Amino acid sequence: MTDEKLSQAERDEAAYFAERAAAAGVGRPLSQGDTPPAPGEPPTLFDVQEMELNFGPQHPSTHGVLRIVLKVDGEKILEAIPDVGFLHRGTEKLFETETYPMGIPHTDRMDYVAAATNNHAFCLTIEKLLDVEVPRRAQLVRVILDELQRLSSHLVWLGTSGIDLGAVTPFWYAFREREQILDFFEEYCGARLTLNCMRIGGLPFDLTTGWVERLLEFVDDLPARIDDYEQLLTDNRIWKRRTVGIGVLTAAECVEYGLTGPLIRASGIEWDLRRAQPYECYDELDFAVPTRQNGDTYDRYIVRVQEMRQSVRILRQCLDRLEPGEIRGKVPRVIKPPAEEIYASIESPKGELGFYCVSNGSNRPYRMHCRPPSFINLQALPKMAKGHLISDLVALIGTIDIVLGEVDR
Amino acid sequence: MALKKWLDKLTLLDLFDGLGVTGRHLFGKKVTIQYPEQKKIPSDRFRGMFRLDEERCIKCTLCAIECPINIIYIDWHNEKNEAGKGIKVLDRFDVDLKRCMFCQLCEEACPTVPKSIWLTTKTYEMASYDRNDSLYLDIRKLTDWQEAPNVKPFTVMEQG
Amino acid sequence: MKILTPTFLTYVKVLLIVAVVPAIVGFVIVLAERRIMGFMQVRLGPNRVGPKGTLQGLADLLKLVTKEDVTPARAEKFVHFLAPVLAVIPALTALAVIPMGPSIRLARHVSTPLWVADINIGLLFLLAITSIGVYGIILGGWASNNKYSMLGGLRSAAQLVSYEVPMGLSLVAVLLMTRSLSLVEIVMRQDRMQLWFVFPGLLSFFLYFVSGVAETNRNPFDLPEAESELVSGFNTEYSGVKFAFFFLGEYAAMIIISCVAVTVFFGGWLPPFGHVKALSFLHIVPPFLWFLAKVGFFIFCYIWFRSTFPRYRFDQLMALGWKWMIPLSLVNIVIVALAILWTPGRTDGLVRLGWLFGALFLLMFFLAKLRQALARRDRLASEPAGTRQSALKA
Repeated sequence: MTDEKLSQAERDEAAYFAERAAAAGVGRPLSQGDTPPAPGEPPTLFDVQEMELNFGPQHPSTHGVLRIVLKVDGEKILEAIPDVGFLHRGTEKLFETETYPMGIPHTDRMDYVAAATNNHAFCLTIEKLLDVEVPRRAQLVRVILDELQRLSSHLVWLGTSGIDLGAVTPFWYAFREREQILDFFEEYCGARLTLNCMRIGGLPFDLTTGWVERLLEFVDDLPARIDDYEQLLTDNRIWKRRTVGIGVLTAAECVEYGLTGPLIRASGIEWDLRRAQPYECYDELDFAVPTRQNGDTYDRYIVRVQEMRQSVRILRQCLDRLEPGEIRGKVPRVIKPPAEEIYASIESPKGELGFYCVSNGSNRPYRMHCRPPSFINLQALPKMAKGHLISDLVALIGTIDIVLGEVDR
Repeated sequence: MALKKWLDKLTLLDLFDGLGVTGRHLFGKKVTIQYPEQKKIPSDRFRGMFRLDEERCIKCTLCAIECPINIIYIDWHNEKNEAGKGIKVLDRFDVDLKRCMFCQLCEEACPTVPKSIWLTTKTYEMASYDRNDSLYLDIRKLTDWQEAPNVKPFTVMEQG
Repeated sequence: MKILTPTFLTYVKVLLIVAVVPAIVGFVIVLAERRIMGFMQVRLGPNRVGPKGTLQGLADLLKLVTKEDVTPARAEKFVHFLAPVLAVIPALTALAVIPMGPSIRLARHVSTPLWVADINIGLLFLLAITSIGVYGIILGGWASNNKYSMLGGLRSAAQLVSYEVPMGLSLVAVLLMTRSLSLVEIVMRQDRMQLWFVFPGLLSFFLYFVSGVAETNRNPFDLPEAESELVSGFNTEYSGVKFAFFFLGEYAAMIIISCVAVTVFFGGWLPPFGHVKALSFLHIVPPFLWFLAKVGFFIFCYIWFRSTFPRYRFDQLMALGWKWMIPLSLVNIVIVALAILWTPGRTDGLVRLGWLFGALFLLMFFLAKLRQALARRDRLASEPAGTRQSALKA
């Protein structure tokens, strides 16, 4: 096709691409060992040929609206830059405009696959500010809800990261169990996803009759189901090949990046806020914090699966300890905390979820800040992705377990 | 040890295990709910559609105040009834349902016993072709669903 | 009955293949795939259109045909159009040489075999013609002017080139046993030898089927379209009828791989162990149905694999092909050749090889099962306390 046949727009576009290509150093070897081609020399087949690939925000496996700008050589990733903010709704600003109890439903929308833990972290912060004692029954029920939520969040993670790597079936099995968990939530608080199931100082409702018995049945059933997922994935050679050694993070790197949750535990650091700074009644419960040493995607998978088993254990213990009692502490009807700054955090399924609250003594916060585990864990993605293939990038997005509602807030 | 590893590798046992799981589920119980014919009955606490009892409502507007996204609009004026007592009369009680996030804070804020506004209805079929009309509830729709298009209640939970 | 001349019958058979195979693909295989995958995934699959969802294929077809046919801006228009055609035509052409059954009688003095052509280089023809199909994918990926499509096309090219080799080599081992490239002759010989070639050719069959799955871009080797990585790979920019063609091409390729597997390794239309007196009642079933049933089983395997396995990564796929499959298939040729030389002029060597393979397979299976039980115990012991109990209870 000669130049005459091109329209002006097409010529402009061609010029633009040529310019971009020159700027990006197309055809120039980027690795240090290679000698750069002489100026004017056409690139050879074996030179690094950089291509920019726009991964998302509409892409099947970015778990929402994450955009990653990739620089690739063939399929090899030279650079991966996450671009976040497509789901930004200004939740932190919203908190400032509303009274404290009105903020709780907004936290549901942050990590929308784990709403209960969000509620919990928010309520815990305000309770710490008010210095309110939560009744024991409420504490136990909160832990039960948290662990159910952890199970459900890990199930979503298991299913979606399985699908990312081409294993479609675990997704359905995981969602079957998740639906049952959502049924429990629905029976308890009336909603399945955006729960709004905790209140400052305690809980909105008591458990319904028969809830505990049904939950016990489910909990007895669950380990066998987890075995099913493990049978499909844990020993599977393809799964192992896709995950072992992918996205390795050393313990030091994890600490540097401020990673929390299963990511840091898979790198060999036993850091779990339920154990490290126990809140509610976690200090009296008997559970293990699973850790692994290699810090790769496979270890993160194992850690999460073992955490699910531990959650089952915690659930059993909590259900055993449940006794009738108050579910709401002594909280004034109009909440006006003292003018203080406070930070409280819990171990959400994804890591340390904390709220930082600045109060000026009025009935609404002066400033609320959230420490979202997904957002901070996402920072490690460029580091992890470098040098891997596009297929691995998908595995890595899955293994970080991000929820874009929480990343962007 | 190495020999055992080789055996595993050669016999593809891990793959057969996986095939076993899916093969077992091929004949297992299915969990699909055939929606229009079978319906999932929500729990008693299910947060469905709004419902208002105009008689019980004391026009305190607490629900509107507590609403995190300000979607409840209440106007009222004072009137004298036949006995000469001053009463509040509702002019407007609107809920902009299409923005509602079903947090139930309005129901919790309601001071009357039983509640005069409540969400605990077993209705979830709220899809409609016209969101501005059918998902904007005025007092008529709030007190009488049958009139509202596309919004049919299953049951109203007893308030007590 | 002048009209039933062999030429005319050939035309009829060609028409049947061209018309019936797409219909089978649309109505049976797609539905079966979706239903079976659904069942394996504890759901029901499509069951709304027609009784038990039987008309789902028709609905899908209607949807695809009535959809807008989008050609992306700045795409290479002619190649973009050519690619889906190139994906389908070879696949349908290859069906011509598949023998689906022995001769059937249509009328007095008129009988016709259930294949379009029995050419003496049938197997070679099949390998040659099916590898043209990859051009459809490469060209489609390239012509779409989309980076994801291009990556998909390139993956496909590399994958197909790599897996043609072990596939061809695994069939070479069978050729040593049959001494003929004609597919009809291969089936006849299995009948005469009273031995399906899957027994002496267990390794061949395994290599062939794995390469076949890779050739047809199906899980766990569905890298060219890998929907979670490349959106939809080479067919990202295709819609409507063109997409339907790619779809048809993929499924027709599946049928061919299964047909060849059945013909070469599983005795084509022969009933299992037909020569055994006690099983002679199996002859009641028409040969064509035996053939169909066997092909159906392999299609089921495809679906089963798809719903079970994760996807290989690109470089791992290549490593598997070049480092495992090709050396293994070379070794396999030597093994089969030695077995043939064991008893020159007779087939006893092959029978013995069959027994050997079977025994080895069983032995390894049980050893591995044992090993797995041990490994499971070790793993549970190494897990944190409490985890163990919940796992063991299950």
